Amino acid sequence: MSDSSVNPLAVKDSQHDRAVVGAGSSPAPTPAARPRRRGVGWRARFEIAILSGPAVLLFVGFVIFPVCLAAYYGFFRWKGYGKPTDFVGLNNYKIILTDPEFHAALGHNVFIVIASLVLQGPIAIGFALLLNRPMRFRSLVRVLIFVPYVVSEVIVGTGFSLMLQSDGAFNGFLDKIGLGSLAHDWLSDPDIAIWTLMAIISWKYIGFAVILFMAALQNIPDELFEAAAIDGASYWQIQRNITLPLLGPTLRIWAFLSIIGSLQLFDLVYIVWGQYVAGTAGVSTMATYMVQYGRTAGNFGYGSAVAVVLFVISLIIALVYQRFVLRRDTEGALTDKAAR
Amino acid sequence: MARMNRAAAFAALGASIALVVSGCSSSDDNSSDSSTADADKPVTMTLWTNATTGPGAAFFEDTVKSFDAANPNVTIKIQTIQNEDLDGKLQTALNSGDAPDIFLQRGGGKMAAMVEAGQLMDITDSISDETQAGVGEGSFKAESIDGKTYAMPVSVLPGGFFYSKDLYEKAGITQTPTTLDQLNEANTKLKASGVDAIALGGKDAWPAAHWYYWFALRECSEDTLNSTAKSLQFEDDCWTKAGDDLKAFKDTGAFNKGFLTTSAQQGAGSSAGLVANHKAGAELMGAWDPGVIASLTPDEKPLPDLGFYPFISVPGGQGDPKAIMGGVDGYSCSAKAPKKACTDFLNYLASADIQKAYYKAFNAPPVNKDAQSVVTEDYLKAVIAAFNDAPYVSQWLDTLYGQNVGNALNTAVVNLLADKGSVADIITAVNNASAKG
Amino acid sequence: MTAATIVPPKASTRARATSKARGGAGPATYFVALLLVGVMLVPILYIVLGGFRTNAQITTDPAGFPSPWKLDNYIDVLTSSTFWREVVNSAIVALATSAVVVAAGLMVSFVLARYSFRGRGALYALFAAGLMFPVTVAITPLYIVVRDIGLMNHLGGVILPQIGFALPTTIIILVPFLRAIPAEIEEAASIDGAGKLGFFFRMVLPLSLPGVITTGILAFVGSWNSYLLPLFILNDEGSFTLPLGVQAFSSQYSVDTAKVLAFTSLSMLPALVFFSLFERRIVGGLQGAVKG
Repeated sequence: MSDSSVNPLAVKDSQHDRAVVGAGSSPAPTPAARPRRRGVGWRARFEIAILSGPAVLLFVGFVIFPVCLAAYYGFFRWKGYGKPTDFVGLNNYKIILTDPEFHAALGHNVFIVIASLVLQGPIAIGFALLLNRPMRFRSLVRVLIFVPYVVSEVIVGTGFSLMLQSDGAFNGFLDKIGLGSLAHDWLSDPDIAIWTLMAIISWKYIGFAVILFMAALQNIPDELFEAAAIDGASYWQIQRNITLPLLGPTLRIWAFLSIIGSLQLFDLVYIVWGQYVAGTAGVSTMATYMVQYGRTAGNFGYGSAVAVVLFVISLIIALVYQRFVLRRDTEGALTDKAAR
Repeated sequence: MARMNRAAAFAALGASIALVVSGCSSSDDNSSDSSTADADKPVTMTLWTNATTGPGAAFFEDTVKSFDAANPNVTIKIQTIQNEDLDGKLQTALNSGDAPDIFLQRGGGKMAAMVEAGQLMDITDSISDETQAGVGEGSFKAESIDGKTYAMPVSVLPGGFFYSKDLYEKAGITQTPTTLDQLNEANTKLKASGVDAIALGGKDAWPAAHWYYWFALRECSEDTLNSTAKSLQFEDDCWTKAGDDLKAFKDTGAFNKGFLTTSAQQGAGSSAGLVANHKAGAELMGAWDPGVIASLTPDEKPLPDLGFYPFISVPGGQGDPKAIMGGVDGYSCSAKAPKKACTDFLNYLASADIQKAYYKAFNAPPVNKDAQSVVTEDYLKAVIAAFNDAPYVSQWLDTLYGQNVGNALNTAVVNLLADKGSVADIITAVNNASAKG
Repeated sequence: MTAATIVPPKASTRARATSKARGGAGPATYFVALLLVGVMLVPILYIVLGGFRTNAQITTDPAGFPSPWKLDNYIDVLTSSTFWREVVNSAIVALATSAVVVAAGLMVSFVLARYSFRGRGALYALFAAGLMFPVTVAITPLYIVVRDIGLMNHLGGVILPQIGFALPTTIIILVPFLRAIPAEIEEAASIDGAGKLGFFFRMVLPLSLPGVITTGILAFVGSWNSYLLPLFILNDEGSFTLPLGVQAFSSQYSVDTAKVLAFTSLSMLPALVFFSLFERRIVGGLQGAVKG
């Protein structure tokens, strides 16, 4: 049923049950959930400290601490050397929230979030359904459509920016097949640029979505399909009532990853449109705004404040999403106290 | 058990790699010897320049070689950095204490910020008499703050129109424009003849902003320009007038299409490349342009029909129609560089013979008077003449006003040119920028 | 449907039923697959083939094939010390990052999955919240932290933060994995007198290998392709990683489009090779992650 050569002993079946049953009902009791209420002895504490030490140290030191520092620096006007001395309180935040350039960047981010979901989701599901049938070369196809995901955004950006120039390969190709009139200024035209960006993003990440959905589809046991077929359901009825709902958890996780990724988009825009004109071209993101008005301009306090704003926005969206969308999927994971 | 051993080996490998990596020193050879005495100790210095290709890069290699030969205890390592990346990297390097010893200095507010942070060496007392005599005082003024000099000037780079005489002839333009109306006329003729009138490297923002600076130079008085350097606020009317001028000019359609992703100097598709390959009639640039154009022509030699004319006059402005704007390229020593070796190199750079070589390599006006006398190209002579004729010289506004305000100004101008912002937005952007940092 | 005797459907009916539910693989499927693969690969091909052309070819016929094929650009890049130095730098960073991420991540995931203690939820939430802190958010102060501990221009200044940022994803993937190991095995180990640590080394490590490989590969690819962090930390050309090198090369040699394409396509190669070697693991790992 599954292509994976991996089969950790006994894990598959219990996971299996969870995936099938998890859509809405409470999960089957997981094997390791039996409470060990023996209390935490010294030995256990020691082991916990040793085992979790390195990860916690690295994480707190290089992730948490800088983020807290960002919050601190955000209250200053600071050029980056020496100690920050010019305390301005919430002024940086005031400027950010009233800066039309930031509004524009935020708007672009929102557009990218929504467009990514809308463009990639249905198309990826469609492809996944299509490619999920027993066909020859399926593994080869799987590998090949994943290739864009593996290539770095820098390379994608460099290649596409050369390809999409006014006198570049794409317009040249359109010319060759007689569609020369469709040639546009794909990168410079502020009305088109963001769609160009969406096209590049979709190109890069749709393969990932397809693979993810294909993997999820393969987890749906054949028995369900058989039962439905015996019941006389048509292909579309089956997709609507069995496949899509069971694809649900994966879809929701993919959407979450996509949203977070879209909010943090930087590399592609920076490489293709450069440091200065991303805003003019209508493709600036909060991250490029942060680098442009923070580091590039030498405003390290302001840049930190932008980072905090970006973080807060991401956090709010993530929390809302977790609470209302992912909740039933994550029951049984550790975040819930009920899982103890 | 084999798996466990493999896992353990893997982990050990990872740990040892991490150890090796942390033990390795960075390949940045920055062993700056900051003892000011003892010129005999072997000294290594790093030099950062934006001359990445062609004769310019060769010039630095040759100059460093000859200097190292004459000073056997000194070795200089050159690192070339693309012009657009230089300022950012330099700032990062200076702020992290990992600065190069010798580096290109733009001057103005950018230099002022470095001086304020104590990152530059004061070379006032280290300028040799020879250098003092050979280089004009005006050039030193551009590299000084409060009477102290922080960089050695090597080239004076006033700006104006660099144009293709052939294309202008073909379009039927008989005299180079001196007024705004004449310029608009000329551009119309150029477009009719099938080429772009003005090449513009909008992607790098500053080339677009240069248009605004020049209009501001014509509209604003010298005093306004200087007082703004202190206040960093655009309060005078003239700034708005300059913006209106620019908007009107843009509406004549003179700029090349797709200027938003045209870079200034990178590749045949850049604005310099367009001029070099006769796809555009002219571009408004500083006097480094001939050198850049030369590297982008099909045969990589100077453009034979290159000409120069100064920026046109604008009716009703408070600025002098002959005022000129330009930068002075210089080289600074970082505060931590070895004093004698570094200042020796700077004096060497400004010496007559090296300056002659500089001019030949970069096709740009040298500061040294002896070197200036051997300039042959008529466009360079025109540049030098315009420079000498000018009642006053202003620095590029983004250099003058510093990186923060400069960047904001540049971006706002690009927005205006792309119809995404208004003239008022330029003023707002600049005024806000100083609040951001 | 009656609850009468249930007769298992015959094999052929079964296959047909499944086939009906999933749809057969008709010519439409192959066509779509071809189309999809084509769209994915054409830009890659453009980059690769572009390196085989001259700039003149590219200017006159932007969308054409190389004719004649020129090897010079590729040879120049392959013989340049810059390119190889950057490959080595990227490799060191990626290997060190993935090795430590996997090791530290596995250890802390084990703690989160198999121990029960107060604060476990908080610890997990701490790491999960880390997904909300991308490098973009922390980069400005992170640059200052790295600068102040003296690791600017140092590969270590990139490795250590990368490990920190890769931990949340790793932990989120590994914890359910480790949780799912049945308690019976753990009890069996403790009966044998192994204790939790012994259980970890003898049983968990081998069992978690698939998850470890998946997270290791994700960390490796993530590190190999990362740009923002090296951009801020590695100022000196000698310490550039490959993505930085691509950007620097493309601005420095922007005159030479063909050469830039050659450099870019060679920079893709390590990631592609790596991916093709481990493709099964990656995709299989995604499958496992999807279950969790």
